[in-house]
Amino acid sequence: MSLWVGFSDGLDRVLAWADGHLVGRSGRPEGGRRAALCLLAPALLLLGVFGVAPIVSTVLLSLFDLRYGNGAFAGLGNYQEALQSSAFWNSVRVTAWYLVGVVPTTIGLGFVVAWGLMHVTQGRTLFRTLYFLPYITSAYAAALVWRALLNPQGGLANGLLEWIGLPTQQWLLEPRGLLHVVTGGAVAADVGPSLALCCVMAFDIWHGLGFTVVILLAGLSAIPQELEDAARIDGAGVLQVIRHVTLPLLTPTLYFLLLIGTISGFQAFNSFYALTQSGGNTLGTTENLVIYLFANFYDNGRWGYGAAIATLLLVAIIALALVQARFARRWVHYS
Amino acid sequence: MLTRSFIGLSLLGGLIAGCNPTPSSSGDFQPLSTDQVVFWDRQTTETAQLLQRITDEFNDSQEGLPVRIETTGNYGEIYRKVMASIQARQLPAMAVSYESMTAQYAASGAVVPLDGFVSAASGGLSPEELADFFPAVLESNYYSDYDGQLLSFPFSKSVLMLYANHRVLRAAGIEAPPKTWEEFLQQCRTIREKTGKPAYAISVDCSTISGMIFSMGGELVVDGVFQYDQPAARQAFGLLETLMEEELAYQIQARTFDDEVAFARDDVAFTIRTSAGSANMAVAMGGKNDDWSMNPLPQQNLDRPATILFGPNITIFKTGAEQERVAWAFTRHFTSVPVMTEWALATGYLPIRKSVANDPRMQAYWDAWPSNKVPYECLAFAKTEPNLRGWQEIRSLVEKAESAVLAGLKSAEAATTELQVEAQATLARAQQ
Repeated sequence: MSLWVGFSDGLDRVLAWADGHLVGRSGRPEGGRRAALCLLAPALLLLGVFGVAPIVSTVLLSLFDLRYGNGAFAGLGNYQEALQSSAFWNSVRVTAWYLVGVVPTTIGLGFVVAWGLMHVTQGRTLFRTLYFLPYITSAYAAALVWRALLNPQGGLANGLLEWIGLPTQQWLLEPRGLLHVVTGGAVAADVGPSLALCCVMAFDIWHGLGFTVVILLAGLSAIPQELEDAARIDGAGVLQVIRHVTLPLLTPTLYFLLLIGTISGFQAFNSFYALTQSGGNTLGTTENLVIYLFANFYDNGRWGYGAAIATLLLVAIIALALVQARFARRWVHYS
Repeated sequence: MLTRSFIGLSLLGGLIAGCNPTPSSSGDFQPLSTDQVVFWDRQTTETAQLLQRITDEFNDSQEGLPVRIETTGNYGEIYRKVMASIQARQLPAMAVSYESMTAQYAASGAVVPLDGFVSAASGGLSPEELADFFPAVLESNYYSDYDGQLLSFPFSKSVLMLYANHRVLRAAGIEAPPKTWEEFLQQCRTIREKTGKPAYAISVDCSTISGMIFSMGGELVVDGVFQYDQPAARQAFGLLETLMEEELAYQIQARTFDDEVAFARDDVAFTIRTSAGSANMAVAMGGKNDDWSMNPLPQQNLDRPATILFGPNITIFKTGAEQERVAWAFTRHFTSVPVMTEWALATGYLPIRKSVANDPRMQAYWDAWPSNKVPYECLAFAKTEPNLRGWQEIRSLVEKAESAVLAGLKSAEAATTELQVEAQATLARAQQ
């Protein structure tokens, strides 16, 4: 403890000295830039070591055919193998289904809840807290509870189905597609996301809804009330106000949520791991890119190949973020 | 200009820090602790307490670095942590591991061959002591992929058992658990018919499938060729297919013990698990030993029985001479006759040495309840899974094939045919 106090005290003195020294020079333009850069330097250094270094390391790792630490330079061989692997494309498909299922649903539901909360006059704080509770619950612990609810033997979900006279389901063990299950087999079993994947999506929507609601509430609160009032005076109904006033002014918030949701959707791991234990029992229908990467890196010891998947994942995230940013210019209104 | 310099510097720092992605296979690894010998283990509750006491006694008996037990999760988690630690080049002195895990660790050059320790004049094992270990528990620790070196040492062993709930059997009018797979299927049908309950809760597990294949007269690998397209494997997967089609069994969620819960609630008659779970099962069954039993795995041919040997070994990592010396001394201490006897009596694990089996206390333990001795009797015909590089990856392929059959998405024949091709390809790639 005393070491930490001493360190903090020392750091404080250094920063105070730097501050005083740099403020004296900040009258000149060059001095101001130097001051700013000196203050940025620690952050840049940390970013370099803990942000850039792992990325560089991963990219370099991906160029070697490393198995359990040994292997020769393979160039782009790992990337070639990934792009030719059906298991890789399956994980891409699972990730895509997950993104399509989770991100718009969470934002849509979040908007409905947030809009409702904005117009609730009593108990708003209580409702906000209730919606936010799942988000602050440990994802792993919550997933274990969901596993119990979705247990095919004795779980609450099947109990409810039995009670209303519907056939019970295998839930997290079901590799067949949701459409196949719902239509009683009319649609092929491998069409669309599996029922197990839909369960994972439902969990993540439930878990992430609170965060979305809070962000949207902040966005809604920033919209001047006079604009909605003016629209109403002009004869606009509730839906028209939402469509022509609220949503356009909320687009920066929606864009933020879309971006964050997409990135975290690509990186989803906890729910997949906790609910389906890596997806083996669902025949890969719950094996997203991160689980696939994890299995190759840690279970199969294929470090180079795992690093190549991680790099492809990074490229995919950056590409999608750039595409979103480009299209955002058309529909995001900052004023 | 200055901005560019700073950003360039941070990128350069990142590049320098991020370089050297390829760990060398030569040279030692850093120990997790320089003043303690860290041992990664998975034991919990009472068995963890006993292991701690044994460790304390060992530490008191020697002047070298003390051994520290770290409970590091289940076997899969320990494997992943060791793999990550190998990449970080910082390892515990030793860890519990299955043969397939040790084979993977050895590929990274992280494992200490134990042949030198065993044959050492001081601190080694005499030929008589070595001969005291049951051959089945020792043989799998010699790795053909690594010139037959002894890369791990037996720690705790168990065998695959058929647990039978006699309350359910009695309700179905069945007097004794099945001895053959044919009887097993017939009893499952009777239980379904008489009680309306599924008879067997299936936990998807590669080792259980391996045990079934052994007990049906098959092998997993012969001369480097997998045998999943051979009759015994097809029969094992076919049995699962029949059980699911006729609703005689159901699949439990992955990595749970829901089958044991169902067993204790009289929801099923059978579950197939390792004998190491007998202590937990006894608690779950409320100590009523007349209501359940541990039985040998049903067989195809009772004259040539076979089952699978479970249980981890100890792998010692290259963390420096002193760490390795103490790790071996601990391994030797743990597998000594008095400690092994105490361990086997308290935990239900098999005695891995013949002289432990001859101990009067062990005999008394076996006489107390017939099921206590059944796992030991199975040791004579127990076989291990392959200790080949790549087996760890193939295990997940086997479990996927099993899941496909259980879900009714593939026939046993189609699943085993595909599994054969995939397993062979994976093995070939891993052996490169």
